[in-house]
Amino acid sequence: MSVEAKQGIAPLRIPAGLGGLLPALILIGLFFVVPVLALLLRSVTDPAPGLQNYAALLGDVTYARVFFNTFLVALVVTIVTVLVAFPVAWMLAIMPATLASVLFGIIILSMWTNLLTRTYAWMVLLQRTGVINRTLMGAGIIDQPLPLINNLTGVTIGMVYIMLPFMILPLVGTLRAIDPMTLRAAALCGASPLAAFRRILLPLSLPGIAAGGLMVFVMSLGYFVTPALLGGTSNMMLAEMIAQMIQSLLNWGLGSAAAFILLVVTMALYALQLRLVGVRRSTGGA
Amino acid sequence: MTQLFLSIRKLRKAFGAFTAVHDVTLDIPKGEFLTFLGPSGSGKSTTLYAIAGFQDPTSGDVLLQGKSLLSVPSHKRNIGMVFQRYTLFPHLSVAENVAFPLRVRRRPEADVKRKVADMLSLVRLESFAERLPAALSGGQQQRVALARALAYDPPILLMDEPLSALDKKLREEIQAEIRRIHRETGVTVLYVTHDQEEALHLSDRIALFRDGRIEQIGTGEDLYLRPATEFVAGFIGNSNFLAAEHLESENGTASVRLADGSIVKGVKATHKLERGQKARLMVRPEAFRMRPVEGNASLTVEIVDMAFFGDRRRVVVRTGWGDEIDARPISDSTDRSNVGAVAGRQIFFDPAAAFLFPAEQGA
Amino acid sequence: MLLDYDRLGWLKVALLAFTALAAAFLLLPVIFIVLLSFGSSRWLAFPPPGWTLRWYQELFADPSWIEAALTSARIATTTAILAVVIGLLASFALVRGQFRGREVLRGLLLTPMVLPVVVFAIAIYAFFLRLGLGGTTIGFVIAHTVLALPFAMIPIATALEGFDKSIEDAAIVCGASPLEAKLRITLPSIRIGVFSAAIFSFLASWDEVVVAIFMASPTLQTLPVKIWGSLRSDLTPVIAAASSLLVALTLALMIVTALLRRKLQT
Repeated sequence: MSVEAKQGIAPLRIPAGLGGLLPALILIGLFFVVPVLALLLRSVTDPAPGLQNYAALLGDVTYARVFFNTFLVALVVTIVTVLVAFPVAWMLAIMPATLASVLFGIIILSMWTNLLTRTYAWMVLLQRTGVINRTLMGAGIIDQPLPLINNLTGVTIGMVYIMLPFMILPLVGTLRAIDPMTLRAAALCGASPLAAFRRILLPLSLPGIAAGGLMVFVMSLGYFVTPALLGGTSNMMLAEMIAQMIQSLLNWGLGSAAAFILLVVTMALYALQLRLVGVRRSTGGA
Repeated sequence: MTQLFLSIRKLRKAFGAFTAVHDVTLDIPKGEFLTFLGPSGSGKSTTLYAIAGFQDPTSGDVLLQGKSLLSVPSHKRNIGMVFQRYTLFPHLSVAENVAFPLRVRRRPEADVKRKVADMLSLVRLESFAERLPAALSGGQQQRVALARALAYDPPILLMDEPLSALDKKLREEIQAEIRRIHRETGVTVLYVTHDQEEALHLSDRIALFRDGRIEQIGTGEDLYLRPATEFVAGFIGNSNFLAAEHLESENGTASVRLADGSIVKGVKATHKLERGQKARLMVRPEAFRMRPVEGNASLTVEIVDMAFFGDRRRVVVRTGWGDEIDARPISDSTDRSNVGAVAGRQIFFDPAAAFLFPAEQGA
Repeated sequence: MLLDYDRLGWLKVALLAFTALAAAFLLLPVIFIVLLSFGSSRWLAFPPPGWTLRWYQELFADPSWIEAALTSARIATTTAILAVVIGLLASFALVRGQFRGREVLRGLLLTPMVLPVVVFAIAIYAFFLRLGLGGTTIGFVIAHTVLALPFAMIPIATALEGFDKSIEDAAIVCGASPLEAKLRITLPSIRIGVFSAAIFSFLASWDEVVVAIFMASPTLQTLPVKIWGSLRSDLTPVIAAASSLLVALTLALMIVTALLRRKLQT
């Protein structure tokens, strides 16, 4: 009886399983892998075969500025996001469930709200005659409107706003996985709150901070919408430049080459992030 | 008069309407190994946490050498503690875990090195110094936790069910280790457990908790041989309780009538009982004999089951009125009664090893 | 003690204050947009000099907004259905199957989530220009399904990993065919995952801007493209009205999710 049953299940499972992958593989293969490879091919064939597109990109000061600016924005956004997210995640991890669910609700609402809607809100808030400037001027704190938009400040605020949930949510998981007893033990061992934070809590949450921070950094590197709307022309980011090269300049070769550079950097950092998460798993699970 | 060391004064802890600890008062002399024993929810851990400073008591005080500890934050109490779960710092090596309390106290490096080496040899884990906690077994982790808790020579060591996550063999091994370390260091130990065997094995004295109060405090012998209440008798060791009616008592001994009308004289009774009051007679399983002994009381029973355990037998018998008794008489080569075959057999017990308690309300 | 909420003392006050500020930072722009959409100032002055429904009237009077919303809804619904079905099949294979390269395949299927959208956008744009799919509904649906697939697969695979396969085997031993067992036993058990997958893949398409900007044609515009175009010209309060409706939709989705989760879990 049991042998029969086994025979009935086993041969069906594996072929049926592999067959299930077919639609996904066709979709991703045909409409993701092929177009991306074609684009990369174009970067070395358009307008003529060779590496001249890459030479142009890497040799030009204007492009170098865009690369530098992209990294700068991503770095600043990541640092600010981590600094804001950590205390919030810390509280979320230990606060009473009802309070936490309210806070989670706010985070989800912000995360699920249309990206353009959120960016639009910041455009309105940050503009020269926007609420923030008018409030500050009305209160007599400033005489002239602060330049909050079309510059690094605007991009940082808007991007941190979008990235915060992506940092907070995984960090809550990391912090919840730390046994509160460990911190009690540290206190009884004589560690002041500051020492316990520096020597125990921070090192134990570092894998989460690193993984989340790297994810935010990678996402920021390739972000298009928010920098395009809140950033200025003088500090354009890579994604916007790529879009312009294709859409306005119709320079497919250069655009493809820039896209390839973005792809390589992103994938390398993504692989690093996977390693970090993997390392955390292997040390935590032993 | 022992030197006044650690005192708990009318400690009370309420969580809303629920009172976890009711006015517990205790004096613990220096160097004692005192165990808080009791079922879960009896207030023993809550009392320990108040001493550690993890919870503020609702009222009462904890004094160390006459000074209140309550206003001292945990990290300045200088108390050692080993926890139920493994609380080693997972990112630090064994040696760094033990060094941690010394590092936060800014001890010179040479002192730290020496002390860590001493501690690791105390718990016999010298060769594991550079390992991470995750690479250690549960028993080894708890030994490291012990070394860490003792590294800064705290006057008091708190242990909150430190062995409950370990299997039986390992538990016994580490119990022996804890006894040795207590002997060698002379540290005052407050040990929480719900395991009576562990408590009996380790402690100088045991405080038995029940519903937030200390039911009885004394040596293991006191609690086992002279239980103050039916709860103590039931919690420590195995016990049989027989429904009985109190007849009269004098000088701590009483005579009772059992349900079948037979009268037993000379049982121990520390509680004041009225004539005719409903009572419960407690007899330890090992107090029963299969053959008559001079001065023993006897019961007419039916043998339900009998098993051989080497030095003792386990005999389950049923009294004429339906109570089941678990008896553990000493093995006797001549006694080979068949199970069930002998209704109307007699078993015997020494009345001096039986205790009479008033029947509890609702019991 | 640092992880004991009740034992943090003044640190708790400071951290809670900071957390409240962060929550306000996350919440205020959303509330603010909703308030402004009812404000009478064309220049989005705050506080508004008066209250009006004018911007909603303008929004609904403009057929291009309605059409863009309908286009988005059509594309997002189709995308969600496709992504969930393909994601279900793929998840079963990846979670249950024991074959070489399983992790590589899983990584490949999740890559569209981590690759910068702009790279995929220009790649698929060029590809569809050659195939003649640029600016078509089919093109939109295909591109969005590629992007939505990871968002559908992750919750389904997670739910499937948490499901004890021996229950399905038990159903088969009881006489159900393997397909029947999957439909009647496994699928109901992982329905929360499937439901999350549907919501996430719907939102992935509904909110998608970058691919849409490249793919859109004058005759086929999604809602984000319409908003994007308006944003670039001026910050009219009509966008605030449209945005508020999107916020309302988000809230509705959240409430439905919460209610369904509660119902499905009990």
